[in-house]
This record gives sequence, C-alpha cells and structure tokens, in this order.
Amino acid sequence: MTSNNKLLVPHRRQPVDMLDRVPRSEKSFEVPSNVLKHRTRRDVLIFGASALAALTAGTVLLPDETLQRLDVHRKLNLPGKDWLLDRAIDIDDDVAEALYSSNRRVPTYSKSQVTGLKNNYNGATPEPEYIPTWTLTLKGLQSGLTLSLNLRTLLKRFALHEEITRFVCVEGWSEIAWWGGIRFADLIQAFPPVSQAKWARIESSVNLDANGNSDPYYISLDMETAQHPQSLLATHFHGDPLTLEHGAPLRLLVPVKLGLKNVKAITGITFLADQPMDYWRVRGYSRYDGI
Amino acid sequence: MKPLSIPSIIDAASSNGVAVVRVQRKHHILVRWAHWTTIPLLLGLILSGISIYWSDPIFQHPTDATGNFDQAADIGIWLCAHVPGLHHYSSPPDWLYNHLSLGPGMLGVALRLHWFCAYLFMANGALYLLGLVLGGGWRALIPKRGDVIAGLHMARYYSLAPFALLLRMPLFHPKHTGKYNALQKGAYASVVVAGTLVVLSGWAIHKPMQLYWLAAAFGGYNAARVWHFCLMCFFILFVVPHVVLVLADGWDTMRSMITGWSSRTEQ
Repeated sequence: MTSNNKLLVPHRRQPVDMLDRVPRSEKSFEVPSNVLKHRTRRDVLIFGASALAALTAGTVLLPDETLQRLDVHRKLNLPGKDWLLDRAIDIDDDVAEALYSSNRRVPTYSKSQVTGLKNNYNGATPEPEYIPTWTLTLKGLQSGLTLSLNLRTLLKRFALHEEITRFVCVEGWSEIAWWGGIRFADLIQAFPPVSQAKWARIESSVNLDANGNSDPYYISLDMETAQHPQSLLATHFHGDPLTLEHGAPLRLLVPVKLGLKNVKAITGITFLADQPMDYWRVRGYSRYDGI
Repeated sequence: MKPLSIPSIIDAASSNGVAVVRVQRKHHILVRWAHWTTIPLLLGLILSGISIYWSDPIFQHPTDATGNFDQAADIGIWLCAHVPGLHHYSSPPDWLYNHLSLGPGMLGVALRLHWFCAYLFMANGALYLLGLVLGGGWRALIPKRGDVIAGLHMARYYSLAPFALLLRMPLFHPKHTGKYNALQKGAYASVVVAGTLVVLSGWAIHKPMQLYWLAAAFGGYNAARVWHFCLMCFFILFVVPHVVLVLADGWDTMRSMITGWSSRTEQ
C-alpha cells in the first residue's frame, strides 16, 4: 500500500500519460477518475488549439473574393499561399505526365455519336481577314531555317487523317467531335526539330481578347504528345473545312490534353529545349494538362 | 516505460477511497486523426467543387426566358423570390454559388484548392485504410447477416427516442455486441466505400483518357461527373444525422473521438 500511494496522491501531479501505459490487451479497467479528467482536459486543449490553427490556415488559403463575401476585408495574400497552391498544381501535372503513355490511344467513337461543339473562344472570335494571307511559321528546326507554310502546301504534302474523339474542357463539359487533319508527327518527321527539342510552343497571333484587341494565345506541348498518333493539325471539322469559330484554317487537336491546349488558328510552332510558358498558366491554371 | 499493473491501480484507488471510473480504449489515434482532418479537407473540396461545378453545371434545362439553364441557379432564384429578407439579393442566380462555394467565376482558383485538398484527402484516406487493415479495425465496420434486422431495431429506436424523451416514456436501447451498433456499422462502412468511390470518380473525371477504363467503369465521362456530384451529396447528408446523434448521445461519445477513451464499458 505504501508504494501504491505514490501513484495517486497528490491529485495535481497525476500523470496524464498513465493511461498510455496500460497494456493494450486490457479490454477495460478502472482508473482514478481524476486521471481521466486530466487526460480529457489535456487532449481537448490540444484539439482546440489544432482546430484554431486549421481554421486560420483555411482562412489564409481561401481566395480574397470569398473572404470579402464573409465580410473579411483583409488582403491575406501571404507569399507562401501561391507557392503552396502552385506545388499542388505541379504535383498534379507530374502525376498527369507519369500517367501518360505514348502507346495508349484515346477512345474513338462512331459518327452517330458525334455531338455539337460550341465556339469557346475566350475572347472575341477573330474576323476572317487573316485567312487569305495565313501561313504557319516553323522555328527551332534542325536546318536552322524559319519556314512559312501555307495550307495548300500542307495538304498537298501530308496525308489527311480522320478521328472522332472526345474533346474535354477544363470547365467540365465534353463533346464528341469528328476531326480531319494532318498528323503532327508527320510534320515533325518532314521538318525535324533541333535535336535537343523537348517542347513545342504553339501560338495563335490572331487571338483576340473580349474587347477585340490582339491577345496572342500560346501553349507548351511536350514532344511525346506532339508525336502521339492521335495528335492532329486539324483542317476539317465534321467533314467540312474548319470554320472561323473552330479555328480556321488550322487548329491543334490533342485529345490527350484539356481543350485549352487545342489552339485555334495556329500561326506558329517553335521547337524548344525548355518548356515555354502557357497562356492559362499565367492565369492560375495548370500547365501540362494531360487528361 | 514499464507497463502498469492493473490490480495495483485498482487496489490503490479503492483502498484510498478515491473515486474510480471504468474506462476502455475506443478510437485509435489514426481513426481520430483521420476523422478530424477529414472535416476541413472535405469542406475545402466541397466549396471548391461547387465552384468548379458552376463553370459547367451537370443539371441543366433548356434555356428559359431569363437566359438561365442551370437548375442550381433556379433554386437561388426561387429562394430570393420567396424567402423574406432575400428579395433584394443582387444576383439571385448566383445565390447558391455565393453561399455554398468559393463563389462563381472562380474556376482557376477553385481547381488549385481542389487539387490541394484532394491530394491531402487521398493521403489521409490511404493512411486510414492502411491502419484499418493492419490494425484489424475493419472487423468492427463490416456489417453481418443479422445486422439488417438489428439495423431496423436501431432505426425504430432512433425515430422513437425524441418522443420517448418528450413523453418521459421508457425506451430501451437495443443491445449490441462489438464497437458499433448495426446502423453505425452501415453508416461508417458506407463512408469508407463512398470515400473510395469519390476518389475514383474524381480520377475518372480528371484523367478520362489515360484512365478511360475507370471512366467507363462509372458509365462514361459524363456519368462519372454525376457520380462524383452525388457522392458529395452523400457526405453532406451523412453529416446531418451524424452530428445530431453525437450531440444526442452525449459527451462520452464526443470525448472518445478526441481522447480515444470512453467511460462507457460493457462490464
């Protein structure tokens, strides 16, 4: 009894971790009630502090616009916030890249499954004036030359391929569309890029913003995706030549990527060793965009 | 540290005239960790998810006279027209999105937050499942054959309990062995299943080309979006009775999810 007394009195010094020392094999057992009380108090305090920390972290991570609606008119743009969310996007892009396989074909559909495809130009649709003088400029070639190709040259030189694939937008909608065009891989084979090229920068200089002002559109495309057999430089949509709203006369069709990579009215392709910037990455979206 | 011998505690306590309480371990630290961290993550996923949903609502109807095609917008319009105090709300079609999401027109930032929370949610879920399998905790969750009848008894008990309380009538809690009663087993096991399905349907939407077989398993890309949405609804619907029952059940249940210890023992 003398040795056991030390365990219990005085109450204040009751070790809260005493419960942890009870063997796991014990189903239930009696303890002095103040042991449970102290243990509960300690754990509830830790819990409350953690909840407060989580709430603070959550508030910091929420966008300012959302906070303003909650009547929090404070700029909480800590520098670490964007860094943290950028890492989430980078990890997600890395996962997408790891999932990609050059050997995997995307599902194709029959003509009866074709749906409509809306004009999703983010800004204004360009006026048709650019079409008669349109050329595709190729840079970053092994030959060191800058080439300008017109549509007639492209269609004469390369075989036309057709495919009916699902077009998936970052917004969530998708449509099944019937495309015709030349294989990007064929173009790359005919005009070999510099040997260290790992990326293509694909741009449309005729792209407009919502007010109709020039707003060139550009994306990065990895060479693996560019050489995928289902990656087309499309000239036809639903059996007819591309219309203005679908990016006449030539648009990129990469069904393994989100719709925003499928540049309309391409005016230039540049092959590069390092990944160029993306129009939508600058605006807070992801960059690799493999789906 | 040397394990305490149980008799020594009991003997000492009773012989000293100190009040004793019988306790038992209820929730492992992994269960408690997963339980509480899921709350902010799920909240972040739902808020950002509804913002993502705004950019292309699944549930649409043909465009009406006001130019609206979104059924979620209809709910907001209806609320603002019929709920006093909301009549002057500036953008009725956005009411739902302004109150249940990060807000409309915020796809970019919503996607960033969604991935951020989703990877943490998956890591957390994987840790929990690993613990559940290795620790044997899954046995307490798997419903058994007799649990259908037992579940009905529990449902009867829960639906009568408020009346019994009001009328001060005796109502006996159906007996059960093991950690959870039949309804709890069903509810908690379905959360594990729904958590798995929500992650899988999320990947089906996120990578419908590389994981096209997964999208096909959910009935295609569009169906996977409906699955993902409905599973979100399941979590929201789960939370309501879950919180009500914890509050009704009392402090010991709440404490056991914080400290791990319960003073409700079978003995």
